[in-house]
Amino acid sequence: MKEKVLTKNFGLKNNFKIDVYLKHKGYEAVRKALREMKPEEILEEAKKANLRGRGGAGFPAGVKWGFVPEVDKPKYLCVNADEGEPGTFKDRFIMSHDPHLLIEGIIITSYCVGIHQAFIYIRGEYEAVAQRLEGAISEAYEEGFLGKDILGTGFDLDVIVHRGAGAYICGEETGLLESLEGKRGHPRLKPPFPASIGLFQCPTVINNVETLSNIPVIILKGAEWFCEKGLPKDGGTRIFGVSGMVRNPGIYELPMGTSLKDIIFKYAGGMKAGKKLKAVIPGGMSAPILRADEIEIKMDFDSLVEAKSMLGSAAIIVIDEDTSILDVLKAVSKFYSHESCGQCTPCRIGTSWINKIVKRIIQGKGKREDIDTIQRLANNILGKTLCPLGDAVAMPIGSITEKFRDELESSLSR
Amino acid sequence: MVKIFIDDKPVKVKEGTTVLSAAKQAGIPIPHLCFHSALIPEGSCRMCLIEIEGVPKLELACSTQVRDEMKIWTKSDRVVEARKGVLEFLLAEHPLDCPICDKASECKLQDYYEEYGLFESEFKEPKEKRDKKANIGKSLILDRERCILCTRCVRFLREITQTQELGVFNRGIRSEIETYEGELVNNNYSGNLVELCPVGAITDADFRFQIRSWFLKKNDSVCPLCSRGCNISIEFHLGFARIPRKKRVYRIISRENPDVNRHWICDLGRYGYSYLDEERLENFLTINEGKEGNLDWEKAIQLMAQKIRKLYNTKKTSRIALILNPWLTNEELFLIRKIFREDLNLERIYVAEPSQGEKDDFLLTSERSPNRKGVQEISFKSKEINLKEIATNTDMIIIFGHYLLDQFDSGDVKAALDEIEIKILFSSKDSELNAVVDLVLPTALIAEKSGSLTNFEGKVQSFEPALEPVGESLPEWQILLDLAKELKINFKYYRQFSSPAVILEKMKEEIPFFIQKND
Repeated sequence: MKEKVLTKNFGLKNNFKIDVYLKHKGYEAVRKALREMKPEEILEEAKKANLRGRGGAGFPAGVKWGFVPEVDKPKYLCVNADEGEPGTFKDRFIMSHDPHLLIEGIIITSYCVGIHQAFIYIRGEYEAVAQRLEGAISEAYEEGFLGKDILGTGFDLDVIVHRGAGAYICGEETGLLESLEGKRGHPRLKPPFPASIGLFQCPTVINNVETLSNIPVIILKGAEWFCEKGLPKDGGTRIFGVSGMVRNPGIYELPMGTSLKDIIFKYAGGMKAGKKLKAVIPGGMSAPILRADEIEIKMDFDSLVEAKSMLGSAAIIVIDEDTSILDVLKAVSKFYSHESCGQCTPCRIGTSWINKIVKRIIQGKGKREDIDTIQRLANNILGKTLCPLGDAVAMPIGSITEKFRDELESSLSR
Repeated sequence: MVKIFIDDKPVKVKEGTTVLSAAKQAGIPIPHLCFHSALIPEGSCRMCLIEIEGVPKLELACSTQVRDEMKIWTKSDRVVEARKGVLEFLLAEHPLDCPICDKASECKLQDYYEEYGLFESEFKEPKEKRDKKANIGKSLILDRERCILCTRCVRFLREITQTQELGVFNRGIRSEIETYEGELVNNNYSGNLVELCPVGAITDADFRFQIRSWFLKKNDSVCPLCSRGCNISIEFHLGFARIPRKKRVYRIISRENPDVNRHWICDLGRYGYSYLDEERLENFLTINEGKEGNLDWEKAIQLMAQKIRKLYNTKKTSRIALILNPWLTNEELFLIRKIFREDLNLERIYVAEPSQGEKDDFLLTSERSPNRKGVQEISFKSKEINLKEIATNTDMIIIFGHYLLDQFDSGDVKAALDEIEIKILFSSKDSELNAVVDLVLPTALIAEKSGSLTNFEGKVQSFEPALEPVGESLPEWQILLDLAKELKINFKYYRQFSSPAVILEKMKEEIPFFIQKND
């Protein structure tokens, strides 16, 4: 791909410093947006660009911003930098290597929606990354891109970095809000949606790091250009994070709709020496698994839904023939039972029950009916929980037990 | 108003009503555990999932508001399956404690399993082991294995008492209800947590292991321990044939009344019921004549009437003193006014005061008697009781209740009464006062009578007897009616009163206050 959007500065030395950023067209989008465009115009561009959320859900960003009502309450922007989805590491690269790109995106989005206070909720484990961010934010304040009367336009914006404390559920948008408010990260019932009742009961926009990092280029190059970079209904590029038994694991910025097979075998160098492909999890651990014969697929939101999986956080986990599917199942069930917040019955007890069965199978005491039981339990969780974590555990477990049933049954005693 | 359909049944409800509330109005039960009408909906138990036509996922009845023309299914296959699923999850990690759990027969988990479950267990893993006897404060014991984390207790303490002593700690399957470091539950409404808990996780030491709830009969009453008049139910044991019962009253529980106490009662009212069964006076006592229990009501009334008539006929009624108390019912106070103030022209009517207490900022009032307002409205003024003054000016004293001992030292009361020739006491309690009077008539308690009380806000609440009077005791209104008829001063007037309800109707004619809003 010729022109990089999100990763263009990744190779530069000291790319996180503002003087380096400014030398490479840094903050031009902010200048254009705040000085030459009206908030309504920015909203139109965001909608036309078909920028879908890069956190996992894929909700169109422009549409989400449009839901924010005009009420007599302050509005907030929460940047979801929790990056909890296993297999995902793209946001840490953006925040470490081009934090100013994110800050630009935050400024423009806030200006568009009428927000004067933004929070970056970053996972607690990213201590070094948070320090980079804080450094970049200080620089932005010094140069007048944050704070009061930005660029003399009268627009005020403050940004605060808030570190999490190790809970996947705080990456769920309402869990994030509860945590930011100082409470236990228990997701809220929806409706009402955060756009109208969010942080401190005020209208709140919550967007992923990568989503916001796309905003500057949409302002500079326009929505049409952005759409052409990807697909008509799914604009822009995606940072695919490839991990597992490939020669070159890492991040790859590619157009929306790139073939999964190409990503693994062309860009990531193919399987490591002597390894054969068994399965791929295409969008972070909560995406249903694909068999080796199912990877002729375009990596965009709609194509993956058609294939009964999901694009999610575009984290591609490559599993080889030497990895036992039982271990994959164990990783999934252990993770979700550990991360369940415990609020609602099906997730709290279901994830633990499934985990107990998997542990027992690994100990060699598995029985014939265990796979059926696991599937039945996953089904009783799917769609019945308070927040999407229930679906995030039910879908991969359903797909693993369905597509690799034979291999799993071979580890049962009778 | 909006029109919706629940299981094909058309229902009209106000806008903003939840599906659960609408179904309740239509008489269609939807199972729920974490929801309580006094608390903000939580939506975490997932028991109330129902199907709405046109909506792909099942929705919660407790927090989904109805829209016009909404079609709701509470018994479709998907709903039945979801309910079974939730029940199965709850039961999987629930200890099989039913044989030793106090909540048996009042337990939502049992009820719902019987109604919506009836499946075999497929849980073959080791269950989570937790503390089964955690002391969380006051008389409460928390069994963390039984807890289904509905968080009703946490939310009650956060929203209703606003004392926040309990919280949820840890995450996922390790979640537990726990007190914050160094603090225990310590408010006057802790007993409500036992009622609130849908399972047997929170129990109180007062009831724990005492009796199986299906042996208890339940009757409605009004709590007389302060002037709020909270509605209660009294649960008591009838006793088995041939086996004497250990006690009569086992438990007081709250009864919903949106105008008085909503869903709650305070711990004072809940646990302070020993006065119903302990130290009761069951028989007549005639001290000075040296014979105990040799009377019956006919003779006692005659005796009393004789002594009163003697003073009435010799125009010496100014030598009669009457001591009332604010525990008497409206009807009894009315009869006393009619007989003693109007028929007998008595002026020296005093009111004994039970001691005041601390009020809290919720239900408990500082006035620790149930009918001070009734005393006021039936126009008995609070004349200060001067024992010496009464002693010198009185030949006959009639005392209702043992409450003089709350105000005065028993030695002083004895000294004063010793100077009075005729002393008659109406009492329910085996108190020290019994030994210093001539005649003690055993009376029933509010829980054992019918009548009405006026709470401090002026609300008149009628009630029926919840318990049988003990021994020979009778309610004061019955004794007073018989006395009035025996006195024969205004005989015809009292003949119309067949019951306290009839007395209350008459009161409305003579004292407009007793015509209440909903009449």
